[in-house]
Amino acid sequence: MNKVSAVSASNVCLQFGDVHAVKNVCFELEEGRFLTVLGPSGSGKTTLLRLIAGFQQPDQGEIFIKGQTVRELAPNKRSIGMVFQRLALFPHMTAAENVAFPLKMRRFNARTISDRVKEYLHLVRLEGLGSRKINELSGGQQQRVAIARALVFEPDLLLLDEPLAALDRKLREEMQLEFRRIQKELGVTTINVTHDQREALVVSDQIIVMNYGEIQQNATPLEVYRSPSNPFVANFVGVTNLFHGMLESLKGQQVAIRISQQTLLGTSKSENSALTQGVSVQAAIRAEQIRLFRGKSENRECEAYFEGRVTDVIFEGERILYELSVAALSDAPIRIIHHDQQDFSTFEVGEMVFVGWQSRDMHVFVVD
Amino acid sequence: MDILEAAFSKIWPKKGGFWGPYLMLSPAILLVGLLVLGLAYIGDTSLRTLDTSTFLFSEEWSLANYERALTEPFIRSVIWRSILGATIVTMTTLLLAFPYTYIMVRTRSAFLRKFLLIALFLPFFIGQVVRAYGWLIILGKQGIVNDILGLIGIEPLRMLFNYPSVLFGLVQYMFPFAVLMLAPALTAIPEEIEAAAESLGASWQETMLYVILPMAKSGLIGAGLVVLTLSLTDFAMPAILGGGTQDFVANAIYDQFFRTSDQGFGSSLAVLLIAIGSLLVWIIFMLVGAGTLALGAKDK
Repeated sequence: MNKVSAVSASNVCLQFGDVHAVKNVCFELEEGRFLTVLGPSGSGKTTLLRLIAGFQQPDQGEIFIKGQTVRELAPNKRSIGMVFQRLALFPHMTAAENVAFPLKMRRFNARTISDRVKEYLHLVRLEGLGSRKINELSGGQQQRVAIARALVFEPDLLLLDEPLAALDRKLREEMQLEFRRIQKELGVTTINVTHDQREALVVSDQIIVMNYGEIQQNATPLEVYRSPSNPFVANFVGVTNLFHGMLESLKGQQVAIRISQQTLLGTSKSENSALTQGVSVQAAIRAEQIRLFRGKSENRECEAYFEGRVTDVIFEGERILYELSVAALSDAPIRIIHHDQQDFSTFEVGEMVFVGWQSRDMHVFVVD
Repeated sequence: MDILEAAFSKIWPKKGGFWGPYLMLSPAILLVGLLVLGLAYIGDTSLRTLDTSTFLFSEEWSLANYERALTEPFIRSVIWRSILGATIVTMTTLLLAFPYTYIMVRTRSAFLRKFLLIALFLPFFIGQVVRAYGWLIILGKQGIVNDILGLIGIEPLRMLFNYPSVLFGLVQYMFPFAVLMLAPALTAIPEEIEAAAESLGASWQETMLYVILPMAKSGLIGAGLVVLTLSLTDFAMPAILGGGTQDFVANAIYDQFFRTSDQGFGSSLAVLLIAIGSLLVWIIFMLVGAGTLALGAKDK
């Protein structure tokens, strides 16, 4: 290793009673990168963040910031700016006083404080609002105060504990881009925690997907989406159809699996040793990678081909979500996202249609 | 239920809506009205002097009673003792109640929280007089404390019937009121706020000073006002633990009404007590209103 990571964790574990809140977590994050820890509630993502911030001590393992272990450092001695879930702004202070607080606590030169507060209020586009009390600011403006307060002392690391969760969708998407802009502008290493897969894909350089306290996948957004490492990740990120089946044969990464009398082809990145004939597997395919046709002859690119009946149509604006029941796959419900708005081809509930996909889009995982 | 409602709407027709809510205030207004009436009566009496030869009150109003109250050394010392005592008791109680409440609100141990709550409420069931007598038993010449001190060869101490014992009793009596007034204020401060202050570089002392105390200010003021007015006007603790040597204003009023039967002088003391209490509360209001909020004012 020739370059020291901005943040790294090795084998970090924390147990609450019998529950493994965080289990054997290892990762490395390069300077200036934006990492999102993605997972459902109770997956341990917030606990991991609290461990990094120092509000909790790991039972085992070490956390390093700039190559130095932080085990002995109290939260107020770590160089970490944090934006909290409910922002935790100080209501008895103005916006500027909130931003000045870390500078005063960290004994910055008193003469430089007001200039720096101005500079950071400018950065988050709140110039002129410094003298406002916190309750005189809108939700989005409060977010910006919280960001400025967490960054003003130029911490080595910025932690975001789902600060956007409470915002309405439009503001949330605006703030996501804002986080991204500020992070790029300052180049500060950032760890963001969220359960919103869209947010994770939009803002991050790197995504860690967690479940039950363990890391499920640590990769770029593209990789997490395109080649999920297991059924959990496949199901959690994006809209995914999962089938249970049995391995029939394999040739390189090409595998043939048997799902209710049908043989389907898919790809697998599992180690070959695990792929033995007869082992039970799960196959995942994304809803937008399934195509819909009115007639059987319309498309020849698809390698798997079934007839199904439309059971539900959900209009979502820029796309339509169909639910189908396919008799050949024991009436397994299949969800399909249809983006094809050019020809306004829509299907009705009860209509018989054809679905098809390519075998490289079908990811096969061995079930332990 | 319908019958009840129908009967109710007969008594209280919905249509006369405007006066309805005000009518509901009437019992409260009646109570306050009676109080004002009593005050007016006391005010009137306070302006009449007692003729000690005939035991009749003067027909004319005069300020003689007030003059006497403010010049008589004994009464002046009683008033001064009450004000000083109430101030010391308020400060001490807040100082003790704040950490107690903080721990009670923040502790993760359900057992500790319950213990602290029960320890708080138990004295409420006992009542002030019985509690004061309890202190007599504990702190008296032949009390438990002196018994224990005797075992290690220390001469019995005189711990009762002095100023500190009265203040001690008052602090102990006021403590639960202060905690109950502070608890909601401290509960309202999210733990996340403390974590935020810490992550921004504040030590726990700085977090207390710049974040928790300012945010708990309204609770501290509320608790302080309650403790101040209650201890300023207290009767039982000075009477029992002071043993007649440490009278507060309320004891002096009692003496005037029921011992010397000079209701005029007693009333003037009562009016003075109300005035002093109001003045103290007003001073607190002014002080708190003027103080700009913690961090902005403390620009180094």
